[in-house]
Amino acid sequence: MVRTFAAIDVGSFELELGIFEISDKNGIRAVDHVKHMIALGRDTFRDGKISYRLVEETCGVLEDFVRIMKEYQVEDYRAYATSAMREARNSQIVLEQIRVRTGIEVKIISNSEQRFISYKAIAAKEAEFQKIIQQGTAIVDVGFGSMQVSLFDKDALVMTQSLPLGVLRLKEFLANARASAEVEHSLVKELVDNELMTFRKMYLKDREFKNVIAIGEPILTLYYKTEAGKRKEQLTAEEFDHFYARIKSMTKDQLEDAFDVNGEYAQMLFPTASIYKRMLDITGAQMIWVPGIRMVDGMAAEYAEDKKMLKFNHDFSNDIIVASKNIARRYKCQMSHVQAVEDSALKLFDTLKRYHGMKSRERLLLQIAVNLHACGKFVTMRDALDCAYNIIMSTEIIGLSHVEREIVANVVKYHDQKFRYNEVEVSAKPSRDSRLVNPENLTLMIAKLTAILRLANSMDRSHLNKLADCKLNVRENQLVISTDYSGDVTLEAISIAEKGDFFEEIFGVRPVLRQKKKV
Amino acid sequence: MAEKMVEKSTKTEKMTKVDKAEKTEKTGKQEKLEKAGKVDKMELAERDYTDPKNYVNRELSWLEFDFRILNEARDKSILLFERLKFLSITASNLDEFFMVRVASLKDQVHARYKKPDIAGLRPEEQLAKIGEKTHEFVNLQYSTYSRSLLPALKQQGLCVVWEHEDLDEKDGEFVDRFFHENVYPVLTPMAVDSSRPFPLIRNKSLNIAALVQKKGDEKEKDLEFAMVQVPSVLPRIVELPEGEDGEHRVILLEEIIERNMKDLFLNYNIVSAHPFRIMRNADFTLDEEEAEDLLVEIQKQLKKRQWGEVIRLEVEEKVDRRLLKILKRELSVGEEDIYEINGPLDLTFLMKMYGMAGFEGLKSPSYTPQPVPELMNDDDIFANIRKGDILLHHPYETFDPVVNFVRSASKDPNVLAIKQTLYRVSGHSPIVAALAEAADNGKQVSVLVELKARFDEENNINWAKMLEKAGCHVIYGLVGLKTHCKITLVVRREEDGIRRYVHLGTGNYNDSTAKLYTDCGLMTCAPQYGEDATAVFNMLSGYSEPPTWNKLSLAPLWLRSRFIKMIRRETEHARQGRSAHIMAKMNSLCDKEIIANLYEASCAGVKIELVVRGICCLRAGVPGLSENISVHSIVGNFLEHARIFYFENDGSSEVYMGSADWMPRNLDKRVEIMFPVEDPELKERVIHILKVQLEDNVKAHILQPDGTYEKVDKRGKTLVMAQNQFCEEAIANARAYSAGNDVYNTRVFVPAEA
Repeated sequence: MVRTFAAIDVGSFELELGIFEISDKNGIRAVDHVKHMIALGRDTFRDGKISYRLVEETCGVLEDFVRIMKEYQVEDYRAYATSAMREARNSQIVLEQIRVRTGIEVKIISNSEQRFISYKAIAAKEAEFQKIIQQGTAIVDVGFGSMQVSLFDKDALVMTQSLPLGVLRLKEFLANARASAEVEHSLVKELVDNELMTFRKMYLKDREFKNVIAIGEPILTLYYKTEAGKRKEQLTAEEFDHFYARIKSMTKDQLEDAFDVNGEYAQMLFPTASIYKRMLDITGAQMIWVPGIRMVDGMAAEYAEDKKMLKFNHDFSNDIIVASKNIARRYKCQMSHVQAVEDSALKLFDTLKRYHGMKSRERLLLQIAVNLHACGKFVTMRDALDCAYNIIMSTEIIGLSHVEREIVANVVKYHDQKFRYNEVEVSAKPSRDSRLVNPENLTLMIAKLTAILRLANSMDRSHLNKLADCKLNVRENQLVISTDYSGDVTLEAISIAEKGDFFEEIFGVRPVLRQKKKV
Repeated sequence: MAEKMVEKSTKTEKMTKVDKAEKTEKTGKQEKLEKAGKVDKMELAERDYTDPKNYVNRELSWLEFDFRILNEARDKSILLFERLKFLSITASNLDEFFMVRVASLKDQVHARYKKPDIAGLRPEEQLAKIGEKTHEFVNLQYSTYSRSLLPALKQQGLCVVWEHEDLDEKDGEFVDRFFHENVYPVLTPMAVDSSRPFPLIRNKSLNIAALVQKKGDEKEKDLEFAMVQVPSVLPRIVELPEGEDGEHRVILLEEIIERNMKDLFLNYNIVSAHPFRIMRNADFTLDEEEAEDLLVEIQKQLKKRQWGEVIRLEVEEKVDRRLLKILKRELSVGEEDIYEINGPLDLTFLMKMYGMAGFEGLKSPSYTPQPVPELMNDDDIFANIRKGDILLHHPYETFDPVVNFVRSASKDPNVLAIKQTLYRVSGHSPIVAALAEAADNGKQVSVLVELKARFDEENNINWAKMLEKAGCHVIYGLVGLKTHCKITLVVRREEDGIRRYVHLGTGNYNDSTAKLYTDCGLMTCAPQYGEDATAVFNMLSGYSEPPTWNKLSLAPLWLRSRFIKMIRRETEHARQGRSAHIMAKMNSLCDKEIIANLYEASCAGVKIELVVRGICCLRAGVPGLSENISVHSIVGNFLEHARIFYFENDGSSEVYMGSADWMPRNLDKRVEIMFPVEDPELKERVIHILKVQLEDNVKAHILQPDGTYEKVDKRGKTLVMAQNQFCEEAIANARAYSAGNDVYNTRVFVPAEA
């Protein structure tokens, strides 16, 4: 079976359409790809909203995309918008305009979702990806306005961070400086170092890195515009040094000729190369891999995975969990307690499947909430819950949409205080293709997850992991938590009884702790 | 990746620094040569490849081309009626040359544009030289007509009555009756006097001017001017009743009118009457090759002028001087632009004469384009393309597969989309009909229609509108660029996904001209060609360039540098002592950068064999400049039109075909495609085409160092006539294929497959 899929990327500088064929036999195959330059970002970043003129142009281009989609008789599509639309005040109106005019429903995705999609595109290049991330690897996604660094350690994503270093930003800064080439080079180095050094101090510490995976639009120019057919995807640090030195020695005209680009792009080549060069230096990585992927490739990979037409060997959910554990660690959460609560929470979730009706995505959110439930205490013990809420809302959790992040933050916020149905606030709207079971009633879902987290937390009230081996059974209207633990479980018993009301209110079963007596 | 990048950037640097490199190299060589004591400094100075004196003016080179065609008209070994056709072609060619090229030069002079051309000539200098050469040319045209062709025609039983004065009484009555019945009603005689201004005379129209005198005023010397246009709606050739011995006799329409002038101006006596014809700089179509700043200047100039200025006046040789004086004054035409003609004006009527029935033995038997062996089976065209790339060589092989390709696609239920560029198509093009049908059948059809095709605009607009009505997505050309590439893409959904079928050609999608123009085409479904073809149409629809091209090179963005790179690669190989060889066939060669690089390659020792039909600004065989370059030009019954390029590339040769000539306009102002031929067998066939053309010693002219062309010395050689050989080969191929399946040959019955 061959399925035809269209991916539309409403980016800050370009509208892009990719047509893909997905089949069990051949995997994902790109069939067509078109790009149209349209600087939505310029409007948004300057005026905070997208002008009517650009909306008009955008609709025109998207209409033509629809024509191309018809041509290939695509069966399904996804359309994602990124930062320009995300930050535009009038995004809702613009999206509605687009929907009415072209029939295309565009979803605004969060930065962390966007990056996550890129990883899926890389991961679709299975063999290399799995091999490379066995060793410490940094995925460096340099864009026009910012860059994202994500670290892989032993097969798992451990951290991701956005830095305000983009090639367009650098280029514009240099344009103001009007410096000589010599000075310009050192300026770029200083700017890049400044940001990267802070980053290293905060996040890299003693981690060891062997590889850098380079993605993002600017590197693609470097990557593709070399002689066709003989492209080399992987370079040693030394090879990249040579390459960097070459670019550094070239004038703008020579760059234009060598890379066959216009002046605008030519000026971005050096900043691009610089950022990667510094990244290699700072991490000490020995190898750089340019897989040559773009967002639409990732969207196709994500779609194929969702439709079960493609299975990644890499476990992306695990990435998200490892990443959230690392956040917990950063805020000095007691990891043994976190682990105990996580075990119980998942046990509860799985046992009560028939009662809550939620699925794997919600389970993942629960797991993240468990991991982050105590991070607020790092700031202050008194308002720990509000602090935790704020920390979560301002921390990038890779792979989560904005809605999902809000869900996690709310679950954490209410896990230790009275749940106020009317006050739970989720500002973002879940999308058409949300993976949640019931995206219509988020408050209820938050309540369910809160109830589970609350109970799981009280099951380790003493932080001593007494109920590690407990068994769960539902009998009539009771959730029986039975344990072989021989010591004192009074604290847990009281705590469980305390949370019982809310739990019963939500699931209709009352938790009861039974301590088996040793014979 | 870095390695590649580094390598590439060094190359580029080399390119940009070529001038410097040339100079240093020169001094290096100079030392060596001076030591050897062989060459003096004068000769070394000639090594400046870009010196204008190493180039030929393109207009003069074009006139050389028309001379070569005229040579065919003068060649007694060619069938008589074919010679008429060649003479007619020289005349229509010259007309177009004046309207486009001479007009443009005149504009430049008016705009005081002083920039010298490739050969260092300023516009007025060019005009002077063109004038001189054109006069010489016209004299040769008419001496060919009257001294060679007319007697030969008479010998073959066709008598062209030169002047109406030569008619006998009986014939005179016949033509007078013909005049009154057929001609008189459509004439509009015009007289000029103080109350009636000089009439506007239409471009390219044939007219008769007369000096008239009012009856009764014989004593007064006042002569008036009168004229009448020879109606273009009537045939120019009028057949007279057969002579005694069954001889065909014809007379030209203007002679009949001239004879009856008195009936048009009843109150006047006709003092003298003579035909004349003018050419105006009137259509205002500017050649896109001139600089843009010039364009603006010319537009200003144009506004100042009411009518297009007269750039050529043709009159009968023995014209009344008083009449000529009036014409000269009223049309404000300079002495140098007057052509006194010894014979009938506008020789294009000879094409009509060619069409006269009854002289079949004096015309070449018509050739039937042969079927393509790869397609001589019951499989559909897509199945056949899947078996392997298919090379088409028109008109030796039929153009039907191309039409069939679009037609099959329009009906095939698995076809999703058809995309095509159309430049000049025939009047009732089966391709256009098939595209319309495809849209009707629910296929996505995108067509890029080039409206800027010279002289064809109106025709194009009509059927483009028709296609749009049928539901096709029509793109009306690109701003500032002419779309000259010939490409068709069929997107088909097959069992294992999308497959793309591509046709790439060197000639237009025009089934009529495909019978006369020699062109090549390639049909393929190789994915890399398909991806590139998709990218081409995406770009033509206004999308950004693709990240990378697999196989195709496009003008105006990549093609020029690609050619330069390939020429330099040969130069490099030659310098390192390896064998280096370029063969290229095209219509025109006038790009300075390319020529300079060819000179450099020649000096490095690259063997360069060119087949250039028309304009060639390169000087061939000049010692110290281009001694390794030869230029052949073939003028035959078919119009040579294919563009083929061969580069030896140190043993791993590359063969390309495409739509672009080596002209600035092709490389800089047009969308053109060059594509490689990679299948080893097809590559051999393309190389064979080049080789046979280079071996031609019947129809080929060779460019001499002095810029003239001479026919090959045939003595002691087997005669090779490329066009005939290709015809024979195509017939043999088709026959061999059908023979293979012929029961009488194989004596085996072959059961048909289910």
